[in-house]
Amino acid sequence: MATVKINGKEITVEDGTLILEAAKGAGFDIPTMCYHARLSKLASCRVCLVEIVGQKKLQPSCVTPVMHGMEVLTESPVVKSARSSMIELLLANHPLDCPVCDKGGECELQDVTFKFGPRNSPFGERKRRFHEEDYILSPVIIQNINRCIQCKRCVRICDEVVGASVLGSIERGAKTGETSFVKEYLDCDHCGNCIEVCPVGSLMSRPYRYQSRPWDLKGVDTVCTYCGTGCQLTVQARNGEILRVISKPDKGINNETLCARGRFGYSFINSHERFVTPMIRKGGTLEPVPWNEALKAIKDGLTEAMKDGRKTGGIASGRLSNEELYLFQKLMRGVFKTNNIDSGSRWNTGAVKSFANVMELNKGGISVYDALNADTLFIIGSSISDENPITDYLIRRLSRNKKMNIIIASPRGLKLDSSATLSLRHRPAAEGDILGGIAKVIYDKNMDKLKDLTGKEHLKNISRENIPDLTWTDWSSIESVSGFMLSANSITIAVGNDVLRGPSRIESMHILAEALRLLGKDVKLFPVFDRANQRGAWEMGVHPDILPGYSFRDGDGLGSEGIIDAASRGEVGALYVVGEDIVSDFPDGGFVREALRQVKFLIVQDIFLTETAKMAHVVLPGASFVEKDGTFTNQEGRVQRLRKFIEPQGDAKADWEIIASIGEAVEPSFHYGSVSDIFKEIKGAVPMYRGIDFEGLDGNGAIVKGSGIGGQGAGVVAGFSLRPKSEVRSQEQETPDPEYPFILITGNHLYHSGRLSLKADTLRDILPEAVVEMNEEDAKAMGVSKGDKVKVKGDRYEATLTAHINKRSVRGVVFIPENFTDVPVNMFFTKGKGFPRVKVLPLSSLSPQGRGPG
Amino acid sequence: MFEPIILKNINVPDSFKIETYLNNGGYQAFKKALKLNTDTIIQMVKDSGLRGRGGAGFSTGLKWSFIPKDPTIPKYLCCNADEGEPGTYKDRAIIEKDPHQLIEGMAIACYAIGAANAYIYIRGEFALGADRLEDAIREAYSKGYLGKNILGSNFSLNIYVHRGAGAYICGEETALLESLEGRRALPRIKPPFPAQVGLFGKPTVINNVETLACVPHIINRGASWFASIGPAKSPGPKLFGVSGHVNKPGLYELPMGTPLREIIYTYAGGIKGDRRLKAVIPGGVSAPMLIEKDLDTPMDFDSLAAKGTMLGSGAVVVMDERTCIVKAALIIHEFFHHESCGKCTPCREGLDWIVKVMRRVEHGEGKEGDIDLLLKLCGDVFGRTFCPLGDGAVMALRGAINNFKEEFEYHVKNKRCMVNGAGR
Ligand SMILES: Cc1cc2nc3c(=O)[nH]c(=O)nc-3n(C[C@H](O)[C@H](O)[C@H](O)COP(=O)(O)O)c2cc1C
Ligand code: SF4
Ligand code: SF4
Ligand code: SF4
Ligand code: SF4
Ligand code: FES
Repeated sequence: MATVKINGKEITVEDGTLILEAAKGAGFDIPTMCYHARLSKLASCRVCLVEIVGQKKLQPSCVTPVMHGMEVLTESPVVKSARSSMIELLLANHPLDCPVCDKGGECELQDVTFKFGPRNSPFGERKRRFHEEDYILSPVIIQNINRCIQCKRCVRICDEVVGASVLGSIERGAKTGETSFVKEYLDCDHCGNCIEVCPVGSLMSRPYRYQSRPWDLKGVDTVCTYCGTGCQLTVQARNGEILRVISKPDKGINNETLCARGRFGYSFINSHERFVTPMIRKGGTLEPVPWNEALKAIKDGLTEAMKDGRKTGGIASGRLSNEELYLFQKLMRGVFKTNNIDSGSRWNTGAVKSFANVMELNKGGISVYDALNADTLFIIGSSISDENPITDYLIRRLSRNKKMNIIIASPRGLKLDSSATLSLRHRPAAEGDILGGIAKVIYDKNMDKLKDLTGKEHLKNISRENIPDLTWTDWSSIESVSGFMLSANSITIAVGNDVLRGPSRIESMHILAEALRLLGKDVKLFPVFDRANQRGAWEMGVHPDILPGYSFRDGDGLGSEGIIDAASRGEVGALYVVGEDIVSDFPDGGFVREALRQVKFLIVQDIFLTETAKMAHVVLPGASFVEKDGTFTNQEGRVQRLRKFIEPQGDAKADWEIIASIGEAVEPSFHYGSVSDIFKEIKGAVPMYRGIDFEGLDGNGAIVKGSGIGGQGAGVVAGFSLRPKSEVRSQEQETPDPEYPFILITGNHLYHSGRLSLKADTLRDILPEAVVEMNEEDAKAMGVSKGDKVKVKGDRYEATLTAHINKRSVRGVVFIPENFTDVPVNMFFTKGKGFPRVKVLPLSSLSPQGRGPG
Repeated sequence: MFEPIILKNINVPDSFKIETYLNNGGYQAFKKALKLNTDTIIQMVKDSGLRGRGGAGFSTGLKWSFIPKDPTIPKYLCCNADEGEPGTYKDRAIIEKDPHQLIEGMAIACYAIGAANAYIYIRGEFALGADRLEDAIREAYSKGYLGKNILGSNFSLNIYVHRGAGAYICGEETALLESLEGRRALPRIKPPFPAQVGLFGKPTVINNVETLACVPHIINRGASWFASIGPAKSPGPKLFGVSGHVNKPGLYELPMGTPLREIIYTYAGGIKGDRRLKAVIPGGVSAPMLIEKDLDTPMDFDSLAAKGTMLGSGAVVVMDERTCIVKAALIIHEFFHHESCGKCTPCREGLDWIVKVMRRVEHGEGKEGDIDLLLKLCGDVFGRTFCPLGDGAVMALRGAINNFKEEFEYHVKNKRCMVNGAGR
């Protein structure tokens, strides 16, 4: 601790505290321009200079730590005059076109000048002008460098946090300008974080430009619903029209950052394509009806459809709120008496159960900051840079000045590879075998200490010999990963939802964690989800074998695949789908469409007429995330508030209200008046939520605590087996078909999430149509370069797409995002067959010459 | 007449070849050093009183002693050969004419601080110098003075030549490190100092060419010999590059502390055409000018500091009575304005504003109050910049204005030059 005197006031602070922070603590406001708490230190603007008694020169308080006994003056005449002359110098060449500057009213330069600056200036020269007209840097950025004050916050955030590193300085001295190097369209993340941190109106948001003045905006702090990271964001509107989304430095795990989806993905809310009245299929077409008619039709339809013992089922999205998901499962289980429920239709029902178990989700949540406080971080099963951009940023930022080994295992090359100590490229769906391989090496090296390791017998099937075949990874890389884990005291294993796309043998994860723990390591498990409330969905019990609060059971309920299978056999009388476009998601587009045709009564609740909704007998208009209240539980297990900001459009209603009114229509006691009432009930049903105060949830939310129920990790492991040797050449292992040399994988694109983001015009502008990403060597071998059109052909579907090259992706794999209606990637899939095989035909030479890995 | 030490080989034919160097006693100091304890060498350099010739005059031995002793941490030596200060051309002579002297000095320095790799950051324009260094390094490898297990010892050393990125700021030691690492040359925050966190984040010594060239002589002839040359607190031989209105401009090696008058009149042959001296810049253009009455000042770090100026790089720029000081000050200021890296507000914006005012004063368009404005701006910048470049710029200007205020005022009032009469 250091005791220092600031303007005569004594204050004791931690050693190493910056003078700036100590002064703030003592109640003195020092202006800053270049300083940013979470970026590297620059000390270039000199606005924060202070006097240290006994030192001749003024010192920048933003980089100078206090020393015990130091006496600091922040208000002395010298300091005040230095401060005001720095501001005067910053203003000298500044255009001062505040009346037409977007930043006016929330500009740090204005604020600092108003508070500390000179009131007039003798500067009478021609001002420096770089350009007369603002220029466009990206679909989201427009720049006026004349206003730039060279604080380099934009450059630093883009480099140190986003990892795109596309901004920099051009020229030197007084001609320095911070911009893109080429002044051409940036090939970047389009995250807008550079705009967010720009203190002046130099970098501006294109969608928001000239839309409003900050003081005319009203806003609400809420949570992003695009991925499991769960960023806090502030939605702002003028006269009820949503004009922008911003992030706040003091809110949420994301602080000032957001990704393109979070920041620019809001405009679907005002989309004209939304349907805003209930509709009933009448003579082949969907026709608007009032709510009471729709509800009556549902009640009648259900009774009719369930006659002669046909099944009912329900599929709800991991993007609904906890309250909605809880009510949904209660409705299905309690009112419709069925366990046929699931969240989403992309995951394997069994894999989900194993995952929830081995990832110890019932033990409560873990803050991402705690998870990243580890010597070794191993990431597997997620294209994390694309799926969870802010998780990627956090890892990049927090690992910058820390000794942390980051190891990434994924088929695709990821932006985060540049922060990694080691990146493994593996064959799709090999995650379980890789985890098993690592466990095997660790076990072999520590057999005496691991005598009691549960599940060790499963490791027998993994060997130096079969690993390359199983995983396309060599044994020595597996050994290196084991080495990093063995040399670490604390290890965090982050596992993404790609392991849920098929039976994944994720159980080997448990053996690995167990082995490391037996060796005395601190092991943390961190799940990574693409759907914002995936974790909440399971916690609320939206899964045939998981009751609220992770009460696991082996029941008769069907998951999505089971429901769709049953439907295809004509066994499903009624199916209720909320917020999920299963026709676009289920990994067999042809099959699911056929199956849904057999469903007697299909109810779809959504905000757009999705492919699934188009097949429904009744469609119900739900509300967007700003039109309803509720809570979301992100991948960390952090419960955050979703806050209603505007009224639902037209006759649309909050999804929980709709679910409740369906329940009430059938059973009058199923009545709920408010989200907080439902939350109260959740607290009773889900012990993990007992400690959470709904009203008190602020920008940091609250992390769920372990409940002690459920928890059969070891049991699940006992019941599975790693692939026996004989099975090595099983289904996915079959000799590669030279006709179809590539394995097709899918997931979310960086700019999109599900199909919803396509309705947000800014995101659609950034990436309007599907692309296919492939390894550079593979592309070269076919003579394909970035931007070329290629045809991707499988045994049941083909599509023409633009080629993207990923230098670091594994050979023999192509990736098509699952977000595009023009190329519904699930049409390539065949149910039960894993990832499809495809060939790629360059369109210039349509001869079939697709070539696989070497 | 002082017997040259650093320049002693300079006029020998083929002075840059290793044979010539060896014939004149080259690499003996290195051989001797390899048998000495590294602490002994550092102590010798401290005792010699050698102070950095790059401008700041920091004790070289002390700088070396800051490097951590832990043998498991890699360390680096960077030779600062970016020589870019107008009027300065001393390092270039050593590099082009006697590169082995530098290499030997570097080898001893690396041995002393435990560095196995060293870089010479040479000004981009010095094409001949870079070639000579590359050749000399190759020769040194082939004779076994560089490479693995040098002369049968445990010491191994590689030296790399890195050509500079074309800006004066690259000579500032931390900007040099940034540039060497492949980034834009912008100075780094200190602390941490390079001795702790330097090149590639590792402990690093940065020394000027001339500084390193002194080292073999200290090892050969002893610390007390070196300390006996010139003033006790800033001893040793010093290269003075004299330019401007003198009869014999050129590079002179003289003991530290030689009076300015002697340098100009005895060695550089006095002022051309026997005109009167008007002003002299004693140590490169950031050093404030001196005038006639200061000519007896001894040319060493402390005596010049006492006069409010500095020895800097030892570049003596002489201006005779016909010189327009306003124009001279503008030319100098244009240099700094052009070379400002743009990182910090006072230098980037302050020098830009000053240059605009200076131009109009020089061009006969000055306004009343401009001189006060210039002084105010100098005050706004001084002591607040990130690195010494900005400070140097305003110190130089303030020196000119303070010594020749009436000349500046004349420009403003009469819209023409006091010395040359014409408008510009
Ligand atoms: C703007 C600026 C330019 C500099 N240029 C040089 C240079 O060209 N050569 C040099 O040796 N030192 C230069 N220096 C000084 C170096 O920063 C550093 O002090 C020196 O290289 C240390 O070596 P020394 O201790 O041997 O003098 C410069 C300093 C500044 C602020
Ligand atoms: S939008 Fe994001 S990625 Fe693009 S330049 Fe700005 S910070 Fe960098
Ligand atoms: S563009 Fe904005 S953030 Fe970037 S350097 Fe300029 S003022 Fe700073
Ligand atoms: S990282 Fe995820 S939660 Fe955060 S802004 Fe992006 S999509 Fe939203
Ligand atoms: S003083 Fe000048 S050269 Fe030095 S950091 Fe500031 S702008 Fe760059
Ligand atoms: S805020 Fe401290 S120098 Fe810019």
